[in-house]
Amino acid sequence: MDIAVLGSDEFVLGFRLGGVKRIYTAKPKDYETKALELIADSSIGVLAIDSSDLELLSPNARRKVTESIAPVVVMVGKAESDLREKVKRAIGVDLYKTN
Amino acid sequence: MPAADVKPTRSELLEIKKKIKLTKSGYKILKMKRDGLILEFFKILEQAKDIRDKVNHDYEEAMQRIAVSKAVDGAITVQSAAFALKTHPELSLRSKNIMGIVVPEIEANSIRTPMDQRGYGVIGTSVYIDEAAKAFENLVQTIIEAAEIETTMKKLLDEVEKTKRRVNALEFKVIPELQESEAFIRLRLEEMERENTFRLKRVKQKAEAHG
Repeated sequence: MDIAVLGSDEFVLGFRLGGVKRIYTAKPKDYETKALELIADSSIGVLAIDSSDLELLSPNARRKVTESIAPVVVMVGKAESDLREKVKRAIGVDLYKTN
Repeated sequence: MPAADVKPTRSELLEIKKKIKLTKSGYKILKMKRDGLILEFFKILEQAKDIRDKVNHDYEEAMQRIAVSKAVDGAITVQSAAFALKTHPELSLRSKNIMGIVVPEIEANSIRTPMDQRGYGVIGTSVYIDEAAKAFENLVQTIIEAAEIETTMKKLLDEVEKTKRRVNALEFKVIPELQESEAFIRLRLEEMERENTFRLKRVKQKAEAHG
């Protein structure tokens, strides 16, 4: 299985330098189609995406991408992880709260 | 099943009693499962928080390093160095079982490549490209660790949610309805018994009056 990266040219360049072979770039309007295509690819084990690109996805596609387990989608970047919301929903308490 | 739909017979009462017993034992087991899952979840929560911080930290560092290398060597040189790489990380997935939930164990090889095997010339490029490459290799390693921990978290949370829904359905819907049906049958049977006694007394009175 491979590790794949999806994002802008600037985002993916470093990953290519870090040795990742499967690099995909997409324009904002094609981003959703590409993301859904990649999460349906069984040869990908881990898909890294820029967390700020999640805004380009429709709510339905966003849910599919963030909840995908095969491949595992790891969000990289400053935007808050979707796990926090999931924890709040399942446990009933915001355990990520620092204060 | 609403209480009004239940047949008020002794066999139905016995059947409902059996159902209540079974449902209560199922409820206890599910509650224990939910508590166990939450304990497992708390065990990996700290790891998940740490790995998320590490991903963010490594990402920032890697982006800084690549920005420096682009500024020093130029974007074209960095791009050509990136395209020259020959070795690529490969993942192997295994699975382990946590309270009946299959979670992945991800192993990766060939993430870190020695400088002389990177495919680009050492003389034509600067040390900044090497540092950026090393920083991104670290980031890839961290992403793979995060993938394993975050998938485990997601799966555990899904199972916690599912088990919680089942426990609540049993506690607030199934068991109270069964108990309501049991009470209804019991009352109805008692009522029928009283009616019967009264009827017998009336028959006896009539028999005595005629005798």
